[in-house]
Amino acid sequence: MKNTIVSRISGITLATFVILASPVAFASGSHGDGHDDVKKTTIGAPGKFADVSRTIEIKMYDNYYSPEKIQVKKGETVLFKITNAGEFVHEFNIGTAAMHAEHQKEMMMMMEHGVLEADKINHSMMKMDMGSGKTMDHNDPNSVLLEPTKSAEIIWNFSDTAKLEFACNVPGHYDSGMMGDVHFN
Amino acid sequence: MRRIFTRVCAAVATIVAATSSVVVAGTYNLTVDPVEIDTGEFKKTGIGYNGASPGPVLKFTEGEDVTINVTNNLDEATSIHWHGLILPYKMDGVPDISYSGIEPGETFTYKFPIVQSGTYWFHSHSGFQEPDGAYGAITIAPKKREPFRYDRDYVVQLTDKHPHSGSRIMRNLKMIPDYYNRKQQKLSDFFSDADENGMSATVEDRMSWGSMRMMPTDVEDLQGFTPLINGKGPNQNWTGLFIAGERVRLRFINSSAMTYFDIRIPGLKMTVVAADGNNVQPVKVDELRIGVAETYDVIVRAEEDKAYTIFGESMGRSAFARGTLAPRLGMSAPVPEMRKSPLLTMADMGMDHGNMEGMDHSGMKMNSSSMKSMDHASMKGMDHSKMQKPENPFYAKRSGLIPVAENGGKFLSYADLKAQKPLYKDRAATREIELRLTGNMERYIWSINGVKYDDADPIKLQYGERVRFKFVNETMMTHPMHLHGMWSILDVGAGKWDPIKHTISVAPGTTVFSETEVDAEGQWAFHCHLSYHASAGMFRKIVVEGGPENTAEQPIKKGALQ
Repeated sequence: MKNTIVSRISGITLATFVILASPVAFASGSHGDGHDDVKKTTIGAPGKFADVSRTIEIKMYDNYYSPEKIQVKKGETVLFKITNAGEFVHEFNIGTAAMHAEHQKEMMMMMEHGVLEADKINHSMMKMDMGSGKTMDHNDPNSVLLEPTKSAEIIWNFSDTAKLEFACNVPGHYDSGMMGDVHFN
Repeated sequence: MRRIFTRVCAAVATIVAATSSVVVAGTYNLTVDPVEIDTGEFKKTGIGYNGASPGPVLKFTEGEDVTINVTNNLDEATSIHWHGLILPYKMDGVPDISYSGIEPGETFTYKFPIVQSGTYWFHSHSGFQEPDGAYGAITIAPKKREPFRYDRDYVVQLTDKHPHSGSRIMRNLKMIPDYYNRKQQKLSDFFSDADENGMSATVEDRMSWGSMRMMPTDVEDLQGFTPLINGKGPNQNWTGLFIAGERVRLRFINSSAMTYFDIRIPGLKMTVVAADGNNVQPVKVDELRIGVAETYDVIVRAEEDKAYTIFGESMGRSAFARGTLAPRLGMSAPVPEMRKSPLLTMADMGMDHGNMEGMDHSGMKMNSSSMKSMDHASMKGMDHSKMQKPENPFYAKRSGLIPVAENGGKFLSYADLKAQKPLYKDRAATREIELRLTGNMERYIWSINGVKYDDADPIKLQYGERVRFKFVNETMMTHPMHLHGMWSILDVGAGKWDPIKHTISVAPGTTVFSETEVDAEGQWAFHCHLSYHASAGMFRKIVVEGGPENTAEQPIKKGALQ
């Protein structure tokens, strides 16, 4: 199962090979080894390329998405083609509002530590040991973090009808409206 | 309530010929009228626009050519300055610098293109008409999509309405500079300080203050006012409606004569998205301080179906503004108690060189609380959120004025302001101009480089240059310095992301830098926006020499101000 590629990033590799093929509970935006203290929610799972029934293109601008909402069906596997057309770093992250809120704290930490700047990612710093073996890797299968002009793909299986949002958790972006709703048909 | 989400043609401003697809051209009519102002605590005759104070919200569109007919129904001359708008200098509305003003019974027609977007305001630049009520708001819709999203928006325009007229206040301040300072230290304070700090330190402390001709309580030289939000006093409770879950954009404008406000909405975070009309990279805060003449746009999102209080304490804590965000009219939320008045410290005098700890009691208190957040030993696990909180570089170390969020959270600093999309290319300044902000509190003289306006030569700038202004605040008051006609690029140390503003607040004991691309010809006003400081002489004329039309140095006499 290690060869299931859930996200192929053109540009910079953000360590996005993932090992899971069935619906799983994700802790919110886990960095490094994840947090176990966060309430788990079923948000779907990385999908397989063979199961993709539809492609949705997402353009990330400063600081909003186009489109700002998407429609999916339960069980559907969607290929997201994500491009950062803005001048700032942006994220595309599928999760619940609570998960995004938790992830925003981590992104704030990345910014405070200089891992993340307004318009660039300092990749070498992501491996920095933050203590207890934790790093600031941004490597969750449900998200990509992109510098300006970069693009990436995520294949996602919406196995469950949770109340989901796609969101950019770069500090300030979500709060100023860079998020969109996932509507289940 | 002044809801301005939709571009409704306000009853007061008539839009004519606004339908053409390419060039929008609007005509607006304003009358300058004697009005009655009711703060809920007192009633007072004053000056307003179209029969009310504050005047209407003027809603423009970027790219629009506006025509504004201003009719003066007063029995004295008036003027309107469009605060923060980039326009030809003859349209800037400053008597004796831009034009000769508007005589009683006269109609003056302003015509200029709208070349920007965001939240601004307008006010009289004649005498003390602005403190007397002559102000209103401007919102400009951008051509392009904004870098943020909201479901509705409100102007939240603050002022400090005083029961005395502006001219009476100025007379009193000139006679007795602490006439309106009710928070003076008493003999009992002396003994309690002596008890706490020792007699000799306390005597030395009082003697230092005496030689500065200042007092630690000189945070606000004008007290006894009632803060208003959109013309409503705390008891009249201006209310903005929302539906739970909506994003609401609040356009804070501080139109006060003299008062800074510390604004918070207990229970809600505010995401600051613009400062002085210009978009900034969004920053989420618990509280912010708005200087006189500044504007901040924030987005709040209330998930709950309940009322929230908009609470704005004056910086000296002598009064508070209060309004409400609510799902339905008539609802209200608890109104917090005001916090203790800050006391100025030796640092605010510019005298704290690290060897005066004994005298610096209130400043020490501040310092120890900020030290707590820097205690690395107490951090556990991944919680680095409290790590390395930088000190606020826009206040003197140990200043008594360093703002601290009521809930211990994030207080906006100038250092947080970064341009969303820089207007100018970053480049080195061609020269530096030092402006020492100076004054003599005992005589209520305020000046720049020790010279008041009446005695000063204009500051000459060359078209095309980039000047770096070095503001050195040698007084113990905070001065919001407003340059007309050109942007001030505030040096927050962010290089190309340094934000552009129209008003730069300079705290006591600090030096602040801003740079200006001299890209507007003509002559302009440059002054402290505290009404009585401007009038007392902290004011300069700027003359831009050269430029495409070479229209600088018009033979207009100088003299009338603010």
